[in-house]
Amino acid sequence: MGAGLAATLPPVEPVMDPESRAWVAALAGEGGDREAALDRLHALLLRAARFELARRRGQLAGLPAAERDDLATQAADDAMMGVLARLGDFRGLSRFTTWAYKFALLEAATKARRLAWRDRELPRPPEDWVALADPDGRPEAAAEHAELLAALRTAVAEVLTAQQREVLLTVVAGRVPLDVLAERRGTTRGALYKTIHDARRKLRVHLVEAGLLAGEEVSRP
Amino acid sequence: MSLIDGLLGPEEPELGCDDCFAGLDRYVELELAGEDPDTRLPGLRAHLAGCLACREEHESLRALLAEDG
Repeated sequence: MGAGLAATLPPVEPVMDPESRAWVAALAGEGGDREAALDRLHALLLRAARFELARRRGQLAGLPAAERDDLATQAADDAMMGVLARLGDFRGLSRFTTWAYKFALLEAATKARRLAWRDRELPRPPEDWVALADPDGRPEAAAEHAELLAALRTAVAEVLTAQQREVLLTVVAGRVPLDVLAERRGTTRGALYKTIHDARRKLRVHLVEAGLLAGEEVSRP
Repeated sequence: MSLIDGLLGPEEPELGCDDCFAGLDRYVELELAGEDPDTRLPGLRAHLAGCLACREEHESLRALLAEDG
């Protein structure tokens, strides 16, 4: 999905459970055992993809049931390719089935988001995006809230690059899913998130330096 | 998430989307086992706070495993 950020995962010693070991052995093997394991894997992935699409019924309103099931099958097919391509990465830190599920959920969620935005033009970041902010309900905080928003408006305009500004506002203020924006720009979710992360760091540093935000941990990007 | 929170993102150091995906299965199993996933996978929770797409997939994986029992 793209570039990593500051935090990294620490190394661990995996211990693979017997069922997961059997999955890996069968999928890495040959002949009838492998064919049977592939069939079981596809069924598992299809179940996960259908589960995800069922959770997104609202987003996919109007999509006939047969097309939703086609979408689940496409997601399971793509997830299967992902699982097999990355089988060597599986180290037994979870059950194999949990590890495999996440590929199907990712594929189904991404396809659903993109389908929901198909044929729709992406909204430009609203000019007056500050107006989208929910006012803080506490009267005593209203002035502080307004001051922070005003500083953010200035920082977004003056501190961010044009690319950072457009990506951050399109996703945060325009509520365009990362996967959708990534597809339109021919990039990845991870790369776009890195852009958002870097923009956020800049904004935080600016606000900390202006005395509007506590944040000793914030380092200059 | 408020607009201000969305613009500023999580305060803590966070993983990127790729590392989040790499650790998500283990993270959810630790959560469901009642263990502390944040010590083992630092930065993942912060990423979930900042990334809606990864957060949705985390919620789905939790729900799917819960359904499996």
